[in-house]
Amino acid sequence: MTDKLLKRENLDKLIGSVTVGGGVFVAPGMEARRVVFREVTRADEMTHDYIIPVNSYKDWVFPQTEVIARFAIKKDGVDLKGEKIEPPETVVFGARPCEAASLASLRSVFTWDFIDEFYTRREDRLTVLTVACTAADDECFCTTVELSPESTVGSDVYLKETADGDYLASAITDKGTAFMEKYSTLFEGASAEAKPKELFIPEKIDGIDLDRIKKWLDNKDHYDDPLWAELSRKCFGCGACTFSCPTCHCFDITDEGTTYEGEKRKNWDACQFEHFTLHASGHNPRDAQFKRWRNRFMCKFNIYPKKFTSTGCVGCGRCIRVCPVRHDITEVMEAISGR
Amino acid sequence: MENALREKARELLTSGEVQVVIGYGWNRRKTRTTPVFITRSEDADRLVFNPLCVNNLSIYLTRKYKDIQALGRPAIVAKGCDIKNIVVLISESQVKREGVYIIGATCNGVVYKQELWAGELNPGIMPTKCHNCDVRNPHVTDFVVGDKTDFTPPEEPTGMVFDRIRELDKKTPSERWGFWIEEFSRCIKCYACRQACSLCYCERCITEKNMPQWVETSAHPRGNLSWNLIRAMHLAGRCTFCGECERSCPVNIPLNLVNQKLVLTVKDAFSYRSGYDEKEHPPMIVYSPEDKENFIK
Amino acid sequence: MENIYLPHLATITDVYEETPDVKSFRLVFQDEKLRDTFEFKTGQFALYSAFGLGESTFCIASSPTRRGYVQFTFRRVGRVTGGLFDLSIGDTMGFRGPYGNWFPLDEWKGKNVVFVAGGIGLPPVRSVIWNCLDRREDFGDITIVYGARRVADLVYKNELEHWGDRKDVNLVQTVDPGGQTPDWKGKVGFVPAVLEETAPSAKNTVAVVCGPPIMIKFTLQALEKLGFSTDDVYTTLENKMKCGVGKCGRCNVGDVYVCKEGPVYTATEIKRMYNDF
Repeated sequence: MTDKLLKRENLDKLIGSVTVGGGVFVAPGMEARRVVFREVTRADEMTHDYIIPVNSYKDWVFPQTEVIARFAIKKDGVDLKGEKIEPPETVVFGARPCEAASLASLRSVFTWDFIDEFYTRREDRLTVLTVACTAADDECFCTTVELSPESTVGSDVYLKETADGDYLASAITDKGTAFMEKYSTLFEGASAEAKPKELFIPEKIDGIDLDRIKKWLDNKDHYDDPLWAELSRKCFGCGACTFSCPTCHCFDITDEGTTYEGEKRKNWDACQFEHFTLHASGHNPRDAQFKRWRNRFMCKFNIYPKKFTSTGCVGCGRCIRVCPVRHDITEVMEAISGR
Repeated sequence: MENALREKARELLTSGEVQVVIGYGWNRRKTRTTPVFITRSEDADRLVFNPLCVNNLSIYLTRKYKDIQALGRPAIVAKGCDIKNIVVLISESQVKREGVYIIGATCNGVVYKQELWAGELNPGIMPTKCHNCDVRNPHVTDFVVGDKTDFTPPEEPTGMVFDRIRELDKKTPSERWGFWIEEFSRCIKCYACRQACSLCYCERCITEKNMPQWVETSAHPRGNLSWNLIRAMHLAGRCTFCGECERSCPVNIPLNLVNQKLVLTVKDAFSYRSGYDEKEHPPMIVYSPEDKENFIK
Repeated sequence: MENIYLPHLATITDVYEETPDVKSFRLVFQDEKLRDTFEFKTGQFALYSAFGLGESTFCIASSPTRRGYVQFTFRRVGRVTGGLFDLSIGDTMGFRGPYGNWFPLDEWKGKNVVFVAGGIGLPPVRSVIWNCLDRREDFGDITIVYGARRVADLVYKNELEHWGDRKDVNLVQTVDPGGQTPDWKGKVGFVPAVLEETAPSAKNTVAVVCGPPIMIKFTLQALEKLGFSTDDVYTTLENKMKCGVGKCGRCNVGDVYVCKEGPVYTATEIKRMYNDF
């Protein structure tokens, strides 16, 4: 596969070409003193100096809140209309290889037996342009979960930065090939001088063994191990980890509106919330915070590998960075690996 | 200072005066501090205290942490600002004064966020509360660690929060409204602000009351606004400006502006500052014939 | 576009006031085609919506042998059930389902069946009972042990009378001590104890158990004493659900998704689950 060259100066044109026809271009940019994925219309709204944006771009395939149906309560019955979505072409630029791997995980949940077209229709229209990492921070742990800045899984187009700030692009999927063909004037033939910057490969955390974790979790007796309370007692259940996690997919369905008309919405929810599993009877199967945290860990490292895809956690480190009590998932992974 | 802290913790645990010491420890890489719960005297050496100790650990004294209460009587490592919250919890009958052993930590300021730490504390990375702190020598304690500091806060409060409040005060009401709508538009309804707050101890928060649904759960402007305004009102006269909600907010909503504005308003109206005297009750929960009635027009 | 979260509209054609806070509704789909084609199996559940208030999950309480309608029973406890409670005959509500697995009635052919239910746990069992009664020749002895806290809390009083009158059903009713009225003719005692006293033979018999967690716990012990193998004891789990289709992530018990792999499980399967109840 030959690399093409996407010049930094052509980013503006690329954004323009995507957005002119109603497309959406999502890229990292500064907002409220943080780098976030957000919709941009010009290249100068983007930033190139970042490890990974604080939010996941899952918002563009699985929005925080979306209408799934509208209803009007009339004298003689109810008018009910399911929402139909026709998502625009959406391009994510500047994804990291870790997060790119998460879409397959989300897709397997949303297409497991029943197909959630709110998700699939958006994802079908999404092209992921990954920019490989030339830096990492202490929280990055992709190599510990069998990914790396070199992994291309989930990317449609895989880009490496050159010393000049340009990008060497290779198409990974058919979608990526189609994208590069559609905007072929902006992807030039790469000269031999265009050399990619060296990628930064974070060190694998020695004491962590995913297979051991999964097997330890397979034993249901370990659910009652005192380790859970000891390690996650400090969690105060804010849910920020789940909201920023690229593979967390839990949601709520709720009715909103006035007495006579309204909408059904699908809203992000978090297994870290006390009310998430609270029964109407008052019984709560997960009545302590450590039990809710245990569920999140179980979901990532046992349920996902068993039921969906092997990648329940992509090692992006967002949950560690965002956590107000610095609850570090890798410390729990390490503790369990040592059991 | 850390030696004194560890020594005290060991002593308290060995004598059985407390069964758990709630304090700060390092993460694996020793780059960040994180709350630790020390139950065995031999683990007391895990305790640390430094400018990265930003968390207000008083949250763990509140009712919902039943598994921590089950450990027994706690000692807590607390900075002066954290003690303010413990004081409010005591005055609101959430915690008994004798139910907790307060190890006050003399403090020369902490960082606004741990990520800002580059090996040295300087005013540029400290939150507004630290610049104006009058409790660097902790005020309600059972034991104090650290050398006494003679820092006196400036007469006129300084720092970014006060600067921005002054800016906002100059705006018209509709401009201010626009500012807050914009800020709240980023809210993702994760409720990290509530969870981080030791004074948000309601067992059933209004957001979870759904008969009727007072606060819409969707992260849209209507729901976001009602949530953030309701929370602000519930903290009026109680909030100590500890800043945990803003620090925990994953979308950087400047909640400290709301909180400090409320602190100023309550101070003007009732000459009351929360968190100093555990025998005094917050003005919003007491009636006094001397209360100003100038809001009735 | 297929919308898996879109409910079917249904009209309430009958309302039965079971207890002061429990009602049953009979629903008929407004889409005539669906009315004829709709099928489900005993034990499956659905999400029922009061528009403007939201959806709640209940088992279908009618039998799939009775076509043309579905019936469900609910207690007024929260926002949605409060809204449903206020609806009356002719009103429109939403129905999404059927979802989940079912009781393997075909495997039970030729066997005796013992039903054990407590309080509001009878509705899911009712579907199985009527299914069995509608194909009575397929099964041996049918025993029903049903109890509630007080006489007033017994649901389906008319049907209990009918089952009591039938020669081919052995119905044992009980209320908790102190819950009896002066004219109460049934037993007084907790369901597990009454079950032991009734002592149905475990030989060639399956048991279906549904009720509050504490009743289930002791009933399983009682069944064990009576010689039942955990493979022959069935129950249906109730967990909070929002989607019903394996996406929303809240009904799992450890690695088991109740909405997809359940809600019907044998006691053997329950024993294998994580302590996440």
